[in-house]
Amino acid sequence: MAAAAQARSPQGPALAVGISAVVTPVLDAVNAAGAAWEDLRVGQQDLTATVAEAKRLRAENADLKRTSQLLAAELAALRQGARLLADFPSFTDGAVLARVVAREVLSSHTLHLDKGTRDGVHTDAAVLAEGGVLGRVDRVFEHSCRVQLLSHPAAAAAAKVIGVDREALLLGGDRPSLTGIPPYTEIAVGTAVLTTGSEGIYPPGLLLGSTGDTRTSGLFTAVGVLLAVHPADVVTAIVLPAHGNER
Amino acid sequence: MTLAVGFLVACLLHVALRAATVWWFLGACQPLLLVPVAASRRHTPVGVAWWGLFAGIAIDVLSGRIIGPGAIAAAAAGAAVAVLVRRFELVGPLFWIGGALLAAVGSEAVWMVIYLTFNAPRDHSVLGSLAIVATTAAVAMAVAAGERIVLWWRSPQRRRRRELGRL
Repeated sequence: MAAAAQARSPQGPALAVGISAVVTPVLDAVNAAGAAWEDLRVGQQDLTATVAEAKRLRAENADLKRTSQLLAAELAALRQGARLLADFPSFTDGAVLARVVAREVLSSHTLHLDKGTRDGVHTDAAVLAEGGVLGRVDRVFEHSCRVQLLSHPAAAAAAKVIGVDREALLLGGDRPSLTGIPPYTEIAVGTAVLTTGSEGIYPPGLLLGSTGDTRTSGLFTAVGVLLAVHPADVVTAIVLPAHGNER
Repeated sequence: MTLAVGFLVACLLHVALRAATVWWFLGACQPLLLVPVAASRRHTPVGVAWWGLFAGIAIDVLSGRIIGPGAIAAAAAGAAVAVLVRRFELVGPLFWIGGALLAAVGSEAVWMVIYLTFNAPRDHSVLGSLAIVATTAAVAMAVAAGERIVLWWRSPQRRRRRELGRL
């Protein structure tokens, strides 16, 4: 037996060759299994890290989306403000650019802006929006102000219809109308209605709206007016320095 | 206590619905008018009128109006709602929608009469009143739907079905 074990083959002692033949595949298999286990463990760690990273990126993405939406809203407001300033270049001195923070278009016909006495806003200051006159400031707080819209039942403005010599009075309400025009005056539908500034609030020459149906009522021609600015669409407005205080 | 919490929630909703980012049409809504409607389940018409008075004062203050006319209008409307809810035994969604419609129409009518009597300048006319009635009724519908969901969620039938599902 000992002689057989010591018998030599070209690869070495026969016993060593035999043991090697048995052990090598086992070791290979165990090593392969170990490597696979290690791969699995690393893979699991990677997966956990990847899932955590994906979760973080998802949260970041949602955050960026929110920021993007806010920036888009801010940009829209800034664009509207820039267009406003471009539309009324003569009023930029002393004027305050303000954002709409709250609105009651139907019930109390008012808008709240984010600028107040601290920013130089005064009562009775004219407020312009893209397209024309929005209304006047009727209440001022330190950091905000309330705008009475032209559609307010108590609102009024001195007005002039293009092509008509006589000055008229624009009255607010559900159906704003012009009064004070002589009877049987013919006015084409869609004619521009501008401010005259006589009431001491609105500077002259600003667009109030366009004319609608015309009918003679008593001593005057009553003219329906389609207001130039729809308050529901206003994001940014210009508050002018109080026109009456300048005089 | 629940009514007081509801009152506070209605005040917050009143302000929130007027935010610039909310659809402008909802700015006409008066959720505070739902407080006297809710009170009409528990209180006598006089008690509901008191809740209406508080709700009306809050509406006047929050809307920046003259304090008083809105309070009187909401108190009168609240009492009317309480009487009619008892008379017709309104329950479920009909209670909320019918009650809110009645409260809004009643309060707007009384408010308008008060202003006309004083010959004071109003801040809205018929179109505004219609918008107030429509939006307040819409919010009442949402409240009725919410109440329905809460009742379904708390119902013994649902619990029983869940228990049977577990078996």
